[in-house]
Amino acid sequence: MSFLKKNTKNIVFTIIVILLALIPLFADIGLLKSSSIVRYGRYITFAIVAIGLDLIWGYTGILSLGHGIYFCLGGYGMAMYLLMQKTGGKITDFMQRGGFTELPWFWKPFLNLPVSLILILVVPGLLAALIGYFTFKNRVRGVYFSIISQALTWAMYTLFNGLQPYTNGTNGITGIDTIIGSYYDSTNIKILFYAALAALVLVYALSTFLLGTKFGKILIAIRDGENRTHFSGYCVSSFKTFIYVLSAIFAAAAGAIYVNLNNSISTSEMTISFSVSMIIWVAVGGRGSLIGAVIGAILVSGCEFGISSAFPDMWQYIIGIFFTVVILFFRRGIVGFVSDAFQRLTALKSKEGSAA
Amino acid sequence: MKCKLLKKLALITAGIVTAVSMSACGGNSSGGEGGSESADGETVKVGLLHSLSGTMAISETSVRDAELLAIEEINAAGGVLGKQIEAVEEDGASEPSKFAEKAQKLIQDDEVATIFGCWTSASRKAVKPVVEGNNALLWYPVQYEGMESSPNIMYMGAAPNQQAVPAIEYCAEDMGYKTFYLLGSDYVFPQTANMIAKAQISALGLETVAEQYVPMGHTDFQTIIADIKSKQPDVVINTLNGDSNVAFFKQLADAGVSSDDVMTMSFSIAEEEVNSIGANLLDGHLVAWNYYMTTDTPENEKFVAAYKAKFGEDRVTSDPVEAAYIGVYLWKAACEAAGSFDVDAVKAAAGGIEFQAPEGKVVVNAENQHISKTVRIGKISADGTINEVKATDAPVEPDPYLTTYDWAVAANLQPLE
Repeated sequence: MSFLKKNTKNIVFTIIVILLALIPLFADIGLLKSSSIVRYGRYITFAIVAIGLDLIWGYTGILSLGHGIYFCLGGYGMAMYLLMQKTGGKITDFMQRGGFTELPWFWKPFLNLPVSLILILVVPGLLAALIGYFTFKNRVRGVYFSIISQALTWAMYTLFNGLQPYTNGTNGITGIDTIIGSYYDSTNIKILFYAALAALVLVYALSTFLLGTKFGKILIAIRDGENRTHFSGYCVSSFKTFIYVLSAIFAAAAGAIYVNLNNSISTSEMTISFSVSMIIWVAVGGRGSLIGAVIGAILVSGCEFGISSAFPDMWQYIIGIFFTVVILFFRRGIVGFVSDAFQRLTALKSKEGSAA
Repeated sequence: MKCKLLKKLALITAGIVTAVSMSACGGNSSGGEGGSESADGETVKVGLLHSLSGTMAISETSVRDAELLAIEEINAAGGVLGKQIEAVEEDGASEPSKFAEKAQKLIQDDEVATIFGCWTSASRKAVKPVVEGNNALLWYPVQYEGMESSPNIMYMGAAPNQQAVPAIEYCAEDMGYKTFYLLGSDYVFPQTANMIAKAQISALGLETVAEQYVPMGHTDFQTIIADIKSKQPDVVINTLNGDSNVAFFKQLADAGVSSDDVMTMSFSIAEEEVNSIGANLLDGHLVAWNYYMTTDTPENEKFVAAYKAKFGEDRVTSDPVEAAYIGVYLWKAACEAAGSFDVDAVKAAAGGIEFQAPEGKVVVNAENQHISKTVRIGKISADGTINEVKATDAPVEPDPYLTTYDWAVAANLQPLE
């Protein structure tokens, strides 16, 4: 992807951010439906997860099929705080049905905002560090790591469903407000939308900066030749663990913002299929370019919504065919396809030029 | 140098094109159609929000079909308040978040007059804040665990006192069963239903010998069946759902256990599930619902004939299918009583409305938005039909919080306030 100059990518990213920033204005003047603000807000959080995934998959070669865990841990943390705000620290109906008379111990920290915010990022980060340390240290890689990540997602999903008195099982946490007030206040939604957009810009900038440093080059070296990097004296597992933890924290932050824009979270966000759709965002957009992940997440989610409304009975076939075509014919996704097309075009032009 | 500039320019254009197409793609469904006119034009829009894909699609598609049938019948008879009903279908894809997203779209973008939808409690719980926040109305067609009565949801299915509680009473009083084995899938409905069952069983002075949960989609019941054999309960109260039921009854039959040895009472097996599990495996087992395809009323004869004529001879009606059908007719009656499609007016007018449904007379309860329903205990026969063995004389009033039962109050099954 060396062809894609960093500047060009940044310009495209800026254009996308400007377009996204215009969405609330378009909704105000009636060009877009009012519900599109909150919907695109959610897609922006998906884009944040996708950037994190691209860091580990596109740049470091770690395919995680279980990033839903981190997304959900962040999401549940935020939802627990918001629910405690709503109940005023009292126990909830599902805890009462589970036989509790007082708040379970691990709910108590979520009464406090700063503590909640720290936990939202630290808990998923620690879990990722633990998983990363043991798998990467033991040189578990490639498809074996993917299988482990998927199995862990399934385990977590079953755990959350089973701990119904603590988590409300499959129903999840619903009927909450946002961190700045009612979910049904359009000003609140706009503020949250721009907050999500700001987070996206921040995550993108941080990732671009990291990839530009020596650290970023080592990640690519690990992807292209893990053994060689190892024998060159780099502690590969530390690098992998670090980037894995960072991407988990991105996912957790995205999950926490998502809950504010979604008004609920349930274990269906923890299913393997949701984690796999995160991979699809990156694959369709084009991995190893960051911008591809952003485009993929927003484009795929937006198209799913539009097509499923237009063809409620058969939209999954259409989306499925689209994915298959992309994976078969455009291996490097939309961004890869576009840049390849240009490379060919300019090569042709320069040939013509030299012939003339 | 020139080339580089060109490359850059072209890439930027490509970026713009993608961005524009993505917003167009996301917005295509919301464009046009003039949603704001929903109640002023020739038609009135209603939303049908069910899972048409994913694990719940097999159940929810037939519920959606029942709603389409009711809409077609009403339109043929002249519509509601002189307007034809226009159904806007959406797919909840068996994911609560999708349900919430699509409910919001139906209410805000399509401006539908009401929504008929959901099946699982998880999807209802996700849609509940959306309809409450937007002051919209959801008609929910499935029996559920109770402990809820949102002013913006009309509950067409049974509350616990219209299904689970009378079923246990039947086991204890009519069948004389003394020991109960509770088996369910690990999610909200079985756990709440069993919590109620345990309180009721102990209040009756009987015994719960075990309470077992298996993860959803679990298919290995060898240890559970061995446990059932060793504990020898009089009846297994079964709240398994989906594929687990197929595996459980298959393995029960393989182990040589028939309904003569161990009786089961199921809350999630209706006509469609009987067909997919295999009627011969279920021969003689008990179920509890408010409606069966064999229910003997003139309205049901017409309903079954119309359903089969529209969707095929091999299709069967079941309790949720019938409840969904009732929902559309009750909405029509409430609109006509209110003289408008306005949600507040419709809600105010809905209380006390009567409808002669396929299951018999139902009345909307003004206080909790549920409907009164006749409770029917049924026995599955080898030909795949379910036949009523006992029914209440009159429709039972809904009591989602079980406030009229002393043992439930004593067990603190009340909501928090």
